[in-house]
Amino acid sequence: MQEALAQLESTYLTMQPQIGLMLNACPSQGDRDTITTKFVAARQNYWSCVNKAFHDDDPQVISLTTDLTTANTALKTAVTQLDDIKKTIDAITQAVTVGASLAAEVITV
Amino acid sequence: MKNRAIAAAVISSLFLIAGCKTGDDAKAAATQLTATAKCLTDYYTALDTILTESDQLNAVEQVMYGIPYDAVTKAQIADSRSEIKKRAALAKGLTDLAASFAKLTGSSATTDASASAASLAKEVNTLQPMKGKLSSDEQTGMKVAVGLIVTAIQEHKERKAAHGMAQLTKGLHDFFVKEEPDYQSIGDQYAVLSGSLANSLLQNGQTDPAGFFKVALDPYGLTPQITDPKLRDGIEKLAEQQVTAKQDALKTAQNKATADMEKSLQQMSDRIDLVANEKPMELRIAPLSIANVEKWASEFQSAAGLNAPDTGSSKSKDATSSPSNQDQ
Repeated sequence: MQEALAQLESTYLTMQPQIGLMLNACPSQGDRDTITTKFVAARQNYWSCVNKAFHDDDPQVISLTTDLTTANTALKTAVTQLDDIKKTIDAITQAVTVGASLAAEVITV
Repeated sequence: MKNRAIAAAVISSLFLIAGCKTGDDAKAAATQLTATAKCLTDYYTALDTILTESDQLNAVEQVMYGIPYDAVTKAQIADSRSEIKKRAALAKGLTDLAASFAKLTGSSATTDASASAASLAKEVNTLQPMKGKLSSDEQTGMKVAVGLIVTAIQEHKERKAAHGMAQLTKGLHDFFVKEEPDYQSIGDQYAVLSGSLANSLLQNGQTDPAGFFKVALDPYGLTPQITDPKLRDGIEKLAEQQVTAKQDALKTAQNKATADMEKSLQQMSDRIDLVANEKPMELRIAPLSIANVEKWASEFQSAAGLNAPDTGSSKSKDATSSPSNQDQ
């Protein structure tokens, strides 16, 4: 399922151009650490599925891809609205968590 | 060795076809296959360069933002690179052997074909499924095709060998089509990652804008020394626009190159199928679409220093070297 990889890519590449601004917007080191950790996880989720395959008809894969699509829509807005960094972190956490579940479904040989 | 074995089967079967009445077409097909397979090699080599640079960019990002370039991600990128290199090796083996075939005469064909078949017979059974998407249908299809070719060569059944070769060519095309989205995704992440780091450096005043003014000063032997903050700001804004435009151009160029590569493989598959079925193959030049693929791939070959020393034409310098690039 190519849409699964496309959504994992979207999570990672939505965060990538904003990462500097997001880190600068953090009021505490704890927030910066959280964003850094989530960003690394998003990048891992993406790369763990490049050149791999998903079971096209697996309901779990389909469901998680749908969930991630929704989470990514919220993420795109959240990474540009940095006045409330907690909300941004929540959106990032949601997308990265769903992404990790989806990445776990990739076929490994 | 496995890749070479597959390639040997393709060429051997082409050789057998060359012995029959469609020999001219077979030789033309081999020449065209040489060019197309080389193009495929270059495509994969460019992807390998993109992965190499992605690895380096993540290290740069660690320095810029303190984001750990963790061992897991590094291993994942290395793993992707390893897979791409396997594909490049397969295409290279096919290129070399297709080129050999195109130079040979019919008199030595049988001997060479037999030797290739003997070599292939030993190796085909050791062909293991590669991980990732070269599995299930594609892996099985290619194995069946190779087996068909080997058997046909050993039994001197030219038509059967030709059909096996046509099947294998189609298998290579289908394999490429299946992986296309991954290839594009690798290119997209490279464009976004490199572009975002470049923009960040620009926005933080960590670039030297002097290069922009060389076009005005070079003819007079003058060297730029930019001290006016307004001038620097103006150039940085222009450079940001160029980086964004270049990011989009990188994605678009790869998208077009990938589509053209797929089209070229499809055309070769169709042409070899004609030869296999003893139908006339009138076209005598390689698929025209490979030219665009070669152009795209050459940017990354020069960027990686794989060709001659960098002459300043690589994509890594295009974005900010001259204001004229804004129109690109």
